[in-house]
This record gives sequence, structure tokens and C-alpha cells, in this order.
Amino acid sequence: MSQDAVARPAARAAVSDTGVRWRLAERPFVWLAPLALLLVVTYVYPAIDVIRYSFTDATLLNPQYAYTADSYRSVATNPDLPGILWVTLLFVVASVILQLVLGLLVAMVLHRGVKRRLPGVAAVRIIILSAWIVPGVAAGIVWQLMFNEASYGFLNAMLRGAGISPVAWLSDPDIALWSAVIANVWRGTAFSMLLLYAGLVVIPSSLYEAASVDGATPLKQFWYITLPQLRPILLINTVLISIFTLNTFDLILPLTGGGPGRATEVLALYTYNAVFRNFDLSSGAVLAVLLLAISVVFTLIYVRLLPREL
Amino acid sequence: MAHVQVNQLFKKYGELQVVHGVDFEIGDGEFTVLVGPSGCGKSTILRMIAGLESVTSGDIVINERVVNDIPPRDRDIAMVFQDYALYPHMSVRQNLGFGLKMRNASKVEIDEAVRRTADTLQIGALLHRKPGQLSGGQRQRVAIGRAIAREPQLFLFDEPLSNLDAKLRVEMRTQIKRLHMSFQVTSIYVTHDQTEAMTLADRIVVLRDGRIEQVGTPDDLYSRPANRFVAGFIGSPTMNFIDARLVAEGDTLWVEPTGGPRLSVPAERVGRYRPHAGRQITLGMRPEDFTNTWTDESRAASSAVPLDVTVDIAEPLGSDTLIFGRIGEAEIVCRVTAVAAPPRGAVMRLNAHMNHMHLFESDSGVAL
Repeated sequence: MSQDAVARPAARAAVSDTGVRWRLAERPFVWLAPLALLLVVTYVYPAIDVIRYSFTDATLLNPQYAYTADSYRSVATNPDLPGILWVTLLFVVASVILQLVLGLLVAMVLHRGVKRRLPGVAAVRIIILSAWIVPGVAAGIVWQLMFNEASYGFLNAMLRGAGISPVAWLSDPDIALWSAVIANVWRGTAFSMLLLYAGLVVIPSSLYEAASVDGATPLKQFWYITLPQLRPILLINTVLISIFTLNTFDLILPLTGGGPGRATEVLALYTYNAVFRNFDLSSGAVLAVLLLAISVVFTLIYVRLLPREL
Repeated sequence: MAHVQVNQLFKKYGELQVVHGVDFEIGDGEFTVLVGPSGCGKSTILRMIAGLESVTSGDIVINERVVNDIPPRDRDIAMVFQDYALYPHMSVRQNLGFGLKMRNASKVEIDEAVRRTADTLQIGALLHRKPGQLSGGQRQRVAIGRAIAREPQLFLFDEPLSNLDAKLRVEMRTQIKRLHMSFQVTSIYVTHDQTEAMTLADRIVVLRDGRIEQVGTPDDLYSRPANRFVAGFIGSPTMNFIDARLVAEGDTLWVEPTGGPRLSVPAERVGRYRPHAGRQITLGMRPEDFTNTWTDESRAASSAVPLDVTVDIAEPLGSDTLIFGRIGEAEIVCRVTAVAAPPRGAVMRLNAHMNHMHLFESDSGVAL
């Protein structure tokens, strides 16, 4: 083969490459249009439709509906709402704190393991991640079996074996929410770990060396190097898992169904129940708008953090 | 102030041995440079002294105390890293004060130390900035400042100037020398740059492949290299090595470069070299030991021998001119007083200052 034959396709590629770049720069909207269209159809349109329904008296039982603002009034005056919001707040705050702490711990252990080239680190990472891949409903069912108060319940069997009296994991209203938090943290820690691990990997090891020469104990190194270096990741992680947790209902549905009473009925589940159990489309839409508003606030915080901190 | 001893130091990473039984000693207040090509183990040795690498076997002794198992924070050392390792989330002020803060110094003490350090290094105007807002040279200053603010008993420098451009490197080199002269703190400095080693060191440890080639003052290494490696490593341009034969004729001794004119060995060296007469050896001559200016007296006084060099290329440097030429089969470089560049193939008559000659065993490279 002649040299010419090799060189020519390369030259052509270079020309067309600059051509594409030129056209991209000239007409960005043409290239963004497919994605924009997809987003409008799958995100914007449903969101607007939900907002539209929230200003109606629609139910799932009757195709006829009229526009009204009464739906907002009735949700606002609903005596259940403060309790639901309180449960949601506890669920989100507890889940987020535990996921951050546990995620950081696991990430640090894994990071240490990788640095020391311990065998099995990859396996551990896959096992932890598998918890995250499991669908929420499946996780709920798994934990339903773990917490089950019948004889086959795993945790109570363990407690019995250790001579401790069994715990009413899901039937005691004071405990059920924390059981839900445990199940949610079990599932969410992997995501938190993944982000924080990525953050740990990029901290230059020379910072730790400098700090250890400067006299910092391992604890002080964690406080003065690791935490400040992870700050942007921790903030973004907090926002993301807050949004995820806020929207969680698939896990709680098979676990407790929101009970006992309303002890574990978070806002997302309450919304689901309003529409699919009470067939009250308009109230459900109002609650969905409320959820959306809270998520938007978190998202704005996230967007604000992104360019400044990363 | 510290006195450092390194005894039979070995380092292995798995099967790979990188330091092979190194011994040296550093006196109180001395500035010692570990120098050698990359991969010679110099940084590993420094990191073992710092406590950042474990010791496979042997001892590191600082002030009569074996520190092998003592963590870095309890060795009372400060280290300047190649990539500076400044804490990016802290201001310059916090970076400078970090070591003192970790040692629970009072706020007043820290402020005072930071102010003093900033004055010494002229970085007072930068105290509120973060490392990301500093130039390379400023970062380097802060990194040095962080080390001196704490007044440790031992300074360690791990190629601190290699990330700077040439001009800044020379400036900072002088600055480091000045700091050492005013503080007189025992220092160990790692570099691959022989110029840095020569200019900074009280004593130089030349390393190759995890072994010491020679320990000595800069003058020792320059004037009395122990072997061909050290001779070639120290000095720029590097020493000329010329294959030759040592020939005895009566009381005189000659060096006969292959295919070139014979050069007489000065009388004071005859006794030392006579046992090797008749052998194939390597003659070592530094580029600056060939000159083009002389008088008959100076030639006699320095046992200089006239030598015709066939010019290949001349490189004028302003103050000097480098002449790349040949003697017999050997290619040599000579640093002569600035001359108009002679044409290629011209023959230049130079002075070979044989009183500065070196002879090495051809196979082992050991100096005779």
C-alpha cells in the first residue's frame, strides 16, 4: 500500500471534522432540538398536565371535571397533611444523614483497601452496588422479610438466638419509621459511597503526606484534609439523595404500606394513595405539585453549587 | 538541629529492591544533597527518612534515636514536596500556620511565626490568597515557608525546584542557599540536577541504582571523582572520556589516545599511575581543562600539553565557546575562551591541562 493511500482518508477525516464543528457552532439549536423535544414530551408536558389537573376537581371515577382552586384549599386544610410532612421530614433527614455517614465510611474503607491492594475490594464494591441496583419494590419486599415479626423474620430470629426479646419492627408506630429508614439507607448508601469514593480518589496523597509531616494525627488529617476536600461532593451528594429520598414510595409501599396508621406515610406515598386508592386525581395532583416544588428548590441549590464548587 | 545517620538501609517493594544497603551520615547543620539519575532511589531514601515509606531493613537515626517506627509527625521534620502539596482549601496564612496548629501552638505564637516567615520569604501580600491563586514561584515560596515556620530540626527537600522554569529555579536555588546560611538547620535535598547539587551542598551523596557511588564535598566530586559514573555525572558539559593506552618510557609516562597524539603524564602523577603502564585505560578530561589562552610560563606551571583538535562544530555561548572536535578516534568537547567560530575541519591548537587529568579502569570505571 502506498503512503498516499494511508494519508488521504486521514486528511478527509480532518476536513469533515472541522466541518462538523463549524456547523455545530453556527446552529446549536438544530443539534439540541431532538433532546429538547424529548424533554418536552417526557418531562415538561406531564409536569404541565399535573399542574393543570391540580386546578380541577377531577377523579379517576368520573371523566368529567371542572376547573377550580378548591383542590388547593382542601389539601391545605387537610388535618393529615402536617403529620405527613413531619414523617417525610424525619424520613428524609435521617436517611440523608445516615447515607452520608455510612457512604463515607464505606468509601474510606474501600479506598484504603484499594490503596493497600487488598484482594476482594472489587467484589465488595459490586455487592454494595447491587443493593442500589435492586428496584425499590424488591428492596421493600426483602426488608419486609427481614423485619417480619412472624417466626421466619430474620432480624427477630437473630435477636431470639441472642436471647433478646423480639422487636415489633413494622407494627410499632414508633419503630416502623426507623425500620423504613434502615431499609432506605441500605439501598441508598451505595450511591452515596460511589460519589464519595470518586471524591476520595482524586485527593492527592501528597496532601496527607504533607499533613502527617506537619504533625497531623489520622483524625486531624480526616478533619483538616479529607472533609474540606470532599466538601463539594458532600454538598452535591446531600442534595441528590435528599431529592431521591423525598420521592421514595416504592420501597415503603411493600414494606409497611404507610402504616401502622400513618406512621410511615411519606409525602410521595400519600400522593400515590390519594390518586390510586382514593381515586382523588385533583388532590393527588396538588400533592404532586407540592413534591415538585420541594424538589425544584433542592435542584436550584444543586445548580447553584455546581459551577462554584466543582 | 539534628544529626542524621543512615545505616545499612534497604528498601524492597515486593520482589523489587530499590535501595541496596546505603550508609551515610549528616552532621549538625549540614546541607546534604542526594543526587543521581531518576530511579536511583534518592527520593525513596528521603521518604524513608521522613517516615513516609517503611524501612525494609537498616536504621535511620536522628539525634541518636532510631526513628524507623516513629510516625512522621513525631520526627520533628519538615518537608518540601515536588508538587508543593499546599492545602488547596486553606489560605496561605493557614498553610503556613498548619504545622504549628497541629502541635497545639497558641494563636499568638502561630501569628508571630506566620508573620516572621512571610517577611523572610516576602510573601506577606499573599497571606489571604488560596494556593490556586498563586504562580508557581509563589507556591514554591509558600511551600518553603510552611516548612520553616515550624522551626523543625531537620529539613527535607524532594526535588523542590523541578516544576519551575529555568530562571525561577536559579532564583529559588539562591534563596534556599541563603535560608540555609541564615538558619543553619540540617537539610537533606534530593535532586537529579547536578548543578543544584554542586551549588547548594556542603556534601553530596551520588547514587545510582540504589547504591552510593561517592560521598564528598562538591570539590571532591569535581576534582577527585571515585569512578567514571561520578566523573560523568558531575560537571557540564560532561567530562570527555577517551579510550587510551598508558605507555611507560624510561621515567616518563604517556597517555596514548587511540589514533591520536600521545600526551605526557605530569611528573607528580607518574608514581601513582606507573603500576598501570601498558594497560588500556580511559582518560578523563573536563571540557574546561582544554584552553586556548596561555603563556609559556602558565603552560609550564600547569603541565599543559599542546594539542591539536580538529573542529567539528563550535557553539559560542558568549563568555565561552564550546568546541566539539576530535583527537584521534575520540570525540571531545572543549570549553575555551570566546573565539570567532572556527570553520568545520579547522585544526585548533589547544592546551590540555594534564594536571587535571583522570584515569579510569576501562572495564570497571574505577578511578586509578
